[in-house]
Amino acid sequence: MLVTGIKSKPVYAPLRADTGGRYHLLLGFGQGGEPLLRILDELRLGKPRSLAQTRIFYTPGRDGGASAPETFGASGAAETRFFDSSGLLLQEFRSTLERSLMGTRLYVAGPESFIGLAMKIALEFNLNEDEIRAQECGTLARRVRCVHCRETTEDVRTNIVRCVGCDRWLLVRDHYSRRLAAYMGVMVDAEAPGELPQIREVFL
Amino acid sequence: MSDGQTIAVEVTGIEQITPLIKHFTLARIGGGALPAFSGGSHIVVVMRGEAGGSPRVHRNPYSLLSPPYELDTYQIAVRRMEESRGGSHFMHDRLQVGSGLEIAHPVNLFALDKIARKHLLIAGGIGITPILAQLEDLHGGAIPYELHYSVRAPEHAAFLARLRAREGDRVRMYYDCDGQLIDFEGLLAKQPLGTHVYVCGPAGMINRVIDTARAGGWSNSHIHWEQFSAPPVGDAFEVYLARARKSVHVLPEQSLLEAIESAGVEVPYLCRGGVCGFCQTRVLEVDGELLHHDHFLSDADKAKCNTIMPCVSRARGKQVVLDL
Repeated sequence: MLVTGIKSKPVYAPLRADTGGRYHLLLGFGQGGEPLLRILDELRLGKPRSLAQTRIFYTPGRDGGASAPETFGASGAAETRFFDSSGLLLQEFRSTLERSLMGTRLYVAGPESFIGLAMKIALEFNLNEDEIRAQECGTLARRVRCVHCRETTEDVRTNIVRCVGCDRWLLVRDHYSRRLAAYMGVMVDAEAPGELPQIREVFL
Repeated sequence: MSDGQTIAVEVTGIEQITPLIKHFTLARIGGGALPAFSGGSHIVVVMRGEAGGSPRVHRNPYSLLSPPYELDTYQIAVRRMEESRGGSHFMHDRLQVGSGLEIAHPVNLFALDKIARKHLLIAGGIGITPILAQLEDLHGGAIPYELHYSVRAPEHAAFLARLRAREGDRVRMYYDCDGQLIDFEGLLAKQPLGTHVYVCGPAGMINRVIDTARAGGWSNSHIHWEQFSAPPVGDAFEVYLARARKSVHVLPEQSLLEAIESAGVEVPYLCRGGVCGFCQTRVLEVDGELLHHDHFLSDADKAKCNTIMPCVSRARGKQVVLDL
């Protein structure tokens, strides 16, 4: 099948603090608040001075499981900012990177689509794998890029999805583009129009 | 890489550019373009000399300093080492315009990161050579870069005129004689995200840059360095090549790799300076001690005593058996 065993599928691990960094930038979405609090604990224990160089950007999301502002408030981090949407958060993230210096470590916790969009921006600033850590939590819904019309369909939970751009039925592959922060979607009924495999919710 | 794959070249120009450095221009015998390369590449020069009446072959790595888009000739610069095992003296004293040499194909172990947002180049002394070719790759591009170049005194600053003319104030000079030192801490602390640092020069300078960058939170993927170690002189020792069933005597000023080669056994190599890891050889038995001098193996791997880089490392003791 087209969807399994593909190496570009990102692999995530539980977040750990990297005390080798000088500046720490933490991005969280929804349930991603918990892992960020763990990072803050680790920094406090491992390298207390680094909290003065630590910034947190957080957006609660709509999935439930959001962290309350006061939980971060007590962390000792230099700056904690709450955003109404992930879009606003990522906008501020970008302008923060414009001003950031070498020595920065990035931590991202949230749904994969949020991680992907943050990584895409980080890549533009040449942050490498050894400077970024990410933990997936929350929905597995995917951003799917249509390889035919190049439109991106958001929040995809099914194995087959209708493209928002060209109405084709797309098979959602594991083939992932870091540059586009999206999985590839390929027309599924090109050879036998209208014949679709069963549509199932798989990315919950 | 073996001698069968070398390119026959002749020396078409020699220039003494500082009291200690000679600049050589090499062209393919019979003409024609040399292989393409990228800034930061080196070649291994094969020098066929003699010592005490018997043939003695030196193979030394030298960085290509000529523009990568000019392939009619290669240019290298060689510093005359006071304690030479013979290679730099051969280059300085034995070569004339018209002399023949063999060179291995270029290899790049010090490449620029093409998606960097800024390049910070640091050179000490003869370490300027790979950086000259890197600058040619960067010149005219959109990515900002700057060079910090430290030498003993103005007369030792090779290629300064070329650098000034081409790079202007992107080059900052530091002269030891005037007490001008590069402020590594200050320099590395203020670099924008996505900067890559490249350093080539004496071991002390390279170590300081690496240590200062890491202490400042730089991750390893942004730190690049190149230092070819000359194989150190040591006591003579014996090795046994298990598969070839040959005993090899390694002379004090000979490297283990050279001794193996002169016994007629080929070991694949790229840098001959302890950097690339290509000549890594399994050690089957050791009665004594391995003296690791490479920059490739981790300290943990070195402690295991089951592998060695014969280009720069040696041994001491009764018997060492290699899987060759």
